[in-house]
Amino acid sequence: MVQRTVRSLHYLLLGPVAGVGALVTVVAGVTGCALLAVTHLGAPAFLATTSTARRLAGLERRRAALVLPARIPTPYPAAEAAAVSARARQRAAHPATWRDTAWLTILFPLTVVCAVLAVVVLAVDLAALTAPAWAWALPPGRRGDPGFMTLTTPGRQAVTALAALFLLPGAAWLVRALAAGQARLAAGLLKPGRTQRLTERTDHLARTRSRAIDAQAAELRRIERDLHDGAQARIVALGMTLALAERRLKALGPAADQARADLTAARADVNAALDELRHLVRGIHPPILTDRGLDGALTALFADHPLPVSPDIRLPRRLAPALEAAAYFLIAEALTNITKHAHATTAAVTVRTRPDGTLTVTVTDDGHGGADPDGSGLMGLRRRVEALDGTLTLTSPTGGPTTVHAEIPCAL
Amino acid sequence: MRLVIAEDLLLLREGLIRLLTATGHDVLAAVDSGPDLIAAVDTHRPDLALIDVRLPPGFRDEGLRAAIEIRARHTPPPPVIILSQYVERTYAAELLADGHGGVGYLLKDRVTDIDAFLDALERVAAGGTALDPEVVAQIFARHSQDDRLARLTPREHEVLALMAQGLSNSAIAERLVLAPVSVEKHISNLLAKLDLPPTSDTHRRVQAVLTYLNA
Repeated sequence: MVQRTVRSLHYLLLGPVAGVGALVTVVAGVTGCALLAVTHLGAPAFLATTSTARRLAGLERRRAALVLPARIPTPYPAAEAAAVSARARQRAAHPATWRDTAWLTILFPLTVVCAVLAVVVLAVDLAALTAPAWAWALPPGRRGDPGFMTLTTPGRQAVTALAALFLLPGAAWLVRALAAGQARLAAGLLKPGRTQRLTERTDHLARTRSRAIDAQAAELRRIERDLHDGAQARIVALGMTLALAERRLKALGPAADQARADLTAARADVNAALDELRHLVRGIHPPILTDRGLDGALTALFADHPLPVSPDIRLPRRLAPALEAAAYFLIAEALTNITKHAHATTAAVTVRTRPDGTLTVTVTDDGHGGADPDGSGLMGLRRRVEALDGTLTLTSPTGGPTTVHAEIPCAL
Repeated sequence: MRLVIAEDLLLLREGLIRLLTATGHDVLAAVDSGPDLIAAVDTHRPDLALIDVRLPPGFRDEGLRAAIEIRARHTPPPPVIILSQYVERTYAAELLADGHGGVGYLLKDRVTDIDAFLDALERVAAGGTALDPEVVAQIFARHSQDDRLARLTPREHEVLALMAQGLSNSAIAERLVLAPVSVEKHISNLLAKLDLPPTSDTHRRVQAVLTYLNA
């Protein structure tokens, strides 16, 4: 308790020292920036001021650590722009700059008031407590002053000292309360604001999510490559060896017929395995998507589709692999749904990028409509799009037509 | 037959060399990239080039592009067969686009049926066509709304599919266990139903059928 009070007093007494520094910085900084704003020295002056302000705010965080249980976190961005003007704009836009400034502006008056209050209260209490020791030193002519009435007799001195002793915990509490209040106010202004914290958190989540999606897409392509160069190639080689063996057995005549039949069966199994692998690969990541991009893969998809599909695909360049795959599977799945459920005779697919960095995909049919927006097929599509921060809407009035429309953000 | 092979996977390259040598063919060069293939064809002038669709550096469709380039560089275009782990109708259409014949597009799986594979090699080297049944299936799926194809009988459909693969009349007859005469009859019937000109030259007929199907 005593230790905390001493630390609080320490904190409060350091306050005005920091306050003077803050006052000088704010006044000089504001004046300097205002004067230089019209010249090309405005940005450097602003940077110098904010740098000093940040250093002072850093000292203030350390001062607050005297009384706060946890350190105040620093709100500044880890990386800043290299160019002076860009960095100045960045700092001006950062809320921490203005929160620092607010704290430094109120610092001097606030700390002076707190320090004076704490010192006066403590001094008066300690003076009263020690009254019997120095009451004799009062000048005789002033003993009649109303303020000294409490000190004129030993009895009164004893009562004064006792009252002071009784009030000492209160004085100590006041010192601690002033320090705690000031430090909490400092923490409120000097830590990252709620908006900043949320913004940083959202940025972080968006970044890690997009990295996870890219990693997944890369992983799928790697699996496809590995299967192609590994398992599939090995199985083909195995089939060739079996075929050659079969051919050699032929030379042995009817004696080897049974063995040849076994080899033929083995070869059929090999081909079935290859067939299954091929279907698996198509489902994971269609090779033509890697080879020809979304445009080429869609052209092939439409050509193979039983319904005539009129395409309108306008892409300025290749999209990110994750996006290509999502758009491809979205369209493939939508077309499959159309052939299965819509009783349509034609379908139309539009793929565009908007200048604001949105990929739009629209699949329309001329079927009888009435598609269930919560059906499992559509839910799968929706999840795929939402994982990329996109939205999927379905309009399917009874009687048709049905339109599936997706909007996915994409970097252009 | 004198062949050049382009295949980047050592396992399959060696396998193909072994298989072709064992069946009495002459492998002049076995390379692993598109540019090397173009150089090898320039040097050796093979009867046929056997090319993997996916080659370095991009591992996409470099083999197909190299094949198209080879065919554009020489007259008459050297016969090529593209081998692939998967087939795309679009790629077949690109290969067939020059209209000269002497092209094949097969799944690597087909290599394991040696007789059919060697047959396809001979056919393509002679200026014919060899399309994988899976490509033909993709082509047909595309025509599910085609009225003229709908007029074919199931048997004519089968014959058309085998024709599209590039098989000769006798091979079709053998495959469907039919008399050559009835195959002839089916063919002339289906050509008439598709409004295609009758001709006795197998290659020309196959070209006509493929042109029709790819349109």
